[in-house]
Amino acid sequence: MTSHIIVFQSAADMPSLPMSVGTTLYNKTGSWRYVRPVYRDKTPPCNHACPAGEDIVDYLQMVVDGNYEQARQRILEENPLIGVCGRVCPHPCESDCNRTQLGGAIAIHALERFVAGQPGARRLPQAEKTAPAGAQVAVVGSGPAGLSCAYQLARRGYKVTIFEALPAAGGMLRVGIPSYRLPREVLDAEIAAIQALGVEIRTGMRLGQNPVRAGSPPGRDGLRLEDLAGYRAVFLAVGQHLSRRLGIPGEEAQGVLPGLEFLRRVNLGEPVQIGSRVAVVGGGNTAMDAARCAVRQGARQVTILYRRSRHEMPAIDEEIEETEGEGVKVQYLTAPVEVVTTVGKVTALKCMRMKLGEPDEGGRRKPEPIHGSEYSLPVDMVIPALGQEADLSFLDSQIDSARGLIVIDAAGATSRQSVFAGGDAATGRSAPSAVPPRRAAGPNGGGRPERGAGTVAYAIGSGKRAALAIDRLLNGQSLEGFPALGEHVHVAARDVDPRVVPFEDINLAYFSSEPRTPQGQRTAAERVKDFQEVNLGFSEREARREAERCLSCGTCNQCDTCWLYCPDVCIRRRDHAAPPGPGHTAYEFDYDYCKGCGVCAQECPREAIDMEEELKWRR
Amino acid sequence: MSYDIPDKELMSPGHVACPGCGAPLAVRYALKALGDNTVLIVVASCWSIIAGPFPYTAVQVPLLHTLFATGGSTASGVKAGLEARGLKDTQVLTLAGDGGTFDIGIQALSAAVERNEDFIYMCYDNEAYMNTGIQRSSATPWGAWTTTTPVKHPKDQPKKDMVAIMAAHRIPYTATATVAYPEDLVRKVKKAASIRGSKFLHVLSPCPSGWKSEPAQSVLLSRLAVETCVFPLYEIEHGEDYTITVQPRQKVPVTEYMKLQGRFAHLKPEALAQIQENVDREWDKLVAKTGNHCGH
Amino acid sequence: MEKVIMGNHAVSYGVQLARAQVIAAYPITPQTQIVEMLSELCADGRLKATFIKVESEHSAMAATVGASIAGVRAFTATSSHGLALMHEVLHWASGGRLPIVMANVNRALGPGWNVWGDQTDSLAQRDTGWLQFYCETNQEVLDMVIQGFKIAETVLLPVMIVLDAFVLSHTEEPVNIPEQDEVDRFLPPYQPQFKLEPGEPHSFYGLVAPEHYMELRFKMEQAMEESIAVTQRVAAEFAQAFGRSYDVVEKYRMDDADLVLVTAGSITGTSRVVVDELREAGQKVGLLKVCMFRPFPVAAVREALSKAQKVAVIDRNISYGVGGIFAAELKTALYGAPHQPVVFPFIIGLGGRDVTPESIHSIVAYTGGHDAPAEPIIWMEVRR
Repeated sequence: MTSHIIVFQSAADMPSLPMSVGTTLYNKTGSWRYVRPVYRDKTPPCNHACPAGEDIVDYLQMVVDGNYEQARQRILEENPLIGVCGRVCPHPCESDCNRTQLGGAIAIHALERFVAGQPGARRLPQAEKTAPAGAQVAVVGSGPAGLSCAYQLARRGYKVTIFEALPAAGGMLRVGIPSYRLPREVLDAEIAAIQALGVEIRTGMRLGQNPVRAGSPPGRDGLRLEDLAGYRAVFLAVGQHLSRRLGIPGEEAQGVLPGLEFLRRVNLGEPVQIGSRVAVVGGGNTAMDAARCAVRQGARQVTILYRRSRHEMPAIDEEIEETEGEGVKVQYLTAPVEVVTTVGKVTALKCMRMKLGEPDEGGRRKPEPIHGSEYSLPVDMVIPALGQEADLSFLDSQIDSARGLIVIDAAGATSRQSVFAGGDAATGRSAPSAVPPRRAAGPNGGGRPERGAGTVAYAIGSGKRAALAIDRLLNGQSLEGFPALGEHVHVAARDVDPRVVPFEDINLAYFSSEPRTPQGQRTAAERVKDFQEVNLGFSEREARREAERCLSCGTCNQCDTCWLYCPDVCIRRRDHAAPPGPGHTAYEFDYDYCKGCGVCAQECPREAIDMEEELKWRR
Repeated sequence: MSYDIPDKELMSPGHVACPGCGAPLAVRYALKALGDNTVLIVVASCWSIIAGPFPYTAVQVPLLHTLFATGGSTASGVKAGLEARGLKDTQVLTLAGDGGTFDIGIQALSAAVERNEDFIYMCYDNEAYMNTGIQRSSATPWGAWTTTTPVKHPKDQPKKDMVAIMAAHRIPYTATATVAYPEDLVRKVKKAASIRGSKFLHVLSPCPSGWKSEPAQSVLLSRLAVETCVFPLYEIEHGEDYTITVQPRQKVPVTEYMKLQGRFAHLKPEALAQIQENVDREWDKLVAKTGNHCGH
Repeated sequence: MEKVIMGNHAVSYGVQLARAQVIAAYPITPQTQIVEMLSELCADGRLKATFIKVESEHSAMAATVGASIAGVRAFTATSSHGLALMHEVLHWASGGRLPIVMANVNRALGPGWNVWGDQTDSLAQRDTGWLQFYCETNQEVLDMVIQGFKIAETVLLPVMIVLDAFVLSHTEEPVNIPEQDEVDRFLPPYQPQFKLEPGEPHSFYGLVAPEHYMELRFKMEQAMEESIAVTQRVAAEFAQAFGRSYDVVEKYRMDDADLVLVTAGSITGTSRVVVDELREAGQKVGLLKVCMFRPFPVAAVREALSKAQKVAVIDRNISYGVGGIFAAELKTALYGAPHQPVVFPFIIGLGGRDVTPESIHSIVAYTGGHDAPAEPIIWMEVRR
């Protein structure tokens, strides 16, 4: 039957009775509408939160579909260290996940680890070769920032050399994070994959100027900034490997070993004397790791002292729980005031109780000592883990620094031509300073740290940023237009509206509360005996189940709901050669007939359809 | 595909339902369930117009328009004619509004199902004579505004319990359904199609024009009707065995449903409380009839 | 075979022989025997048809319409108030161009209840687009039912076969009942041009806007007008097959008649006797039987009355404010004709009041004794 308008020339042309000879397709009811639906993917809170710039919702859908290799490649576009992140990232994605209110955040962290661990090709994805012929770039530091930068450059065809001060590559991943959190094999494999792109890592090459600062790792002072003049660009990613001092009497005593130093020795397999009653001072991951290593090294009693309350503790929640599970006692609202020694050896730590006062410049409530509350804790080893600082002694006057960090702009560029910086050395926690903080956004010359700053994921993001900037620079392009330092840089971005989808925009009719899948874990009794990995990850069934809980906020995942409820049958599934997936418009509206009723937009479980004024489109 | 719904469309766009109307959704799902070996009889109602004027049609099955009071009788004749031609498996689906079912058409419907004629009768209920401009029917809920039950004198009588009337005829299958639950509707239509004899489906079909609601919210309203227990989804076999087919996840207060509809805007708190009480009582009675058994 | 049967059963035999496939009917005095016999024929398989025991005449016609558009031969029967109740559906059948045959037993309309013979019920439906045939004998009833299907299926308009209450419906007369195979040769199985066919999805009887409505109605009128010739052709074939002749009108002893009685239905039989008596007595009286009332056979009527001086129309019906309907239609037919006889419109026998040979004699006497009608309606045998 015809779909066109029918005109009868005469009665003889017409049927004898009122009988149809055509369809209503002639009637373009699209002329009725004054608003029209538009498919528009928006930003889910997880993507918004990820400092490494991963497209989480995209790869989770691939896990749902069982396309693990595709998911891995998708992550690797943005981040080469997925096995690492799947274990050590503090997962701000989970903190913002909209599913938190429907049975618990998606275990994105564990899912990333699952994807990383799937059998399959270990190749890193190719990129378009944009490197000018023979271009060489130097990277200083083989931590996550340096590795990320080297990867993004090498896949574009650059010849990259990483200079690493320590005897082994990995930076904090190697020396700061113990193997029960990050197995050596995982780290080694991911570094090896980057090296397989042609990246050279030269260990034992420490960038510096005489004299070196006390407490910094030993190594040959073989490299100076001037030595890198032959490279077309330099990326400084030296991290923060210096420990902050306790600042109390007695801290020079034997038996006081800074946390970073302690962990470095343990992780490099160097001999370290462990006490029997150990006090760890601090509330970050370093403090947790130091405590747990002490337990594994044989300490009988390990106590963590933290000057604020549990609520303010910067360490990852699960880590705190695992630490306590291993028998470590945490004392809150207490700070050491003196290391007590006898015959030059540590015998006790004098402490004072604290109370919380007004928030400080970082936003956390300042601890105030309670006078007369001193008490003594008998210990034979003290491990301060109060924070990290960068060793910037190698800098010359041409490179600006402020509050203990290298100053960079949105492109990661320092004040010196062709020198970039990233990772903790540029975006870690800044040193406390007499200079009042500037409130400007943008370059991190002061003020609060960007969200996620100081984490592995942030470092990876910053390395990627600098790599893209270096690529532009060496191709004679402008460095304008980079997203601000708090925003993410993507290599392969979908066309997505920057609006972040809040929980209120999720259509709860389509979801019920389902509990989050817990990750398997070795028992405390078992795990304190060795340095084997504590968390066991997901099985395939658990991973699929967990990924299926993802609401796919703001991202069409072809649930068919719009198609199902259109009263005018004008939503079609597209016949596309491209494989379907979030971000690929799998449906199209037939605007010839769409009346703009808005049922699709109302029902879309995940806010992926907007209603817009028709006149805007009709111009 | 995420929903257990047949893929093939037997209804085209270009039909002239109001934007957001529930009626084309009801027919779209019913035709998907039945397939193209179906004859659709449309009793005078909105669908007489929705289907498109001569010489066009909006569905890919034969469609017979018929007089207001003749839903049950025309279907009886059509079925007899098709069977006489040997087309014993062709489904006959009569589609009527609440007017053509509860009021002017009730006689012919009662007679047809008393004879246990082999057809499916689907009433799409928008709770008033909508095609002629929102006049009250016996399906209009208590308290609702319509043009013949204006705000100063809203509908004084409760909604007629058509399902009970049909069940009292002891027909093989009676069920309620609504457009927010297409899988449930499709399953029920398919089940009806598998039974010889009279099958009655009462489908709540939101009407933005007559309910004074947002077109975009028709599916939402249909869902709320179920979740508030205003319109429970259940089926009755042989007039005796009751099964609730969609259990509300949690019982939502009726005000959540009614506040989205202008036709209830004039109701005072006492009236709303009365309505809540009525709904609760009727729900409890229904649950008791099921022997507290919920299927599917 | 020859049988002495009542008019109602003549209908039933006709329907059986025509092999109707679906029958939907509701009982009403004096039609009940039609449906009772058909019910039995269906029940024991002598007629392979579905009999739908509907709950009202409105539903009866609706079901018949449904069956007909579903593509089968369909039949119903009714009378008086049942016919009146069907009214809106009659329009659906004709506008739907469905070849339905219905037998209507002419019975008076109430209030008060009156079950006896009166033509007003069927004539009140003369605007519905149905063909109407008025039968004089039970033989004609049977024969017209069979021809009715053939005519209907040719012109695609429904056909009403009308028989008088009790005088025909319940009176047994000798009727020749044809053999099934003879009827099968005359009336082959129904081949519908349009029908509900899964696989060929058309929509029937939907909204028709002003831009199309008139043409569809024009086509209906065209079909109506063609049905006169079709009726005559079918009658000729019937005569060939069964030896009995029919036409749209019948002229009885009209060659030199000055005064012509115009009748329809069973009154025709009574009038024949009177015409014979009057001819014996030397009066030049003739009789024009109107067999087909719809469409009104204008040409045949004009031709038949082209030499009559006076025409006495006998109406057993009334349209209030106008008078007898046959008289009104006849006058309309004669308007503009070259020859204009004087028309005497008589109304007699309403509500089943007996019409005897004496009544007819009175009508002839009046007509002969007046130059023109003394009143617009000449009421016969009414207590004023």
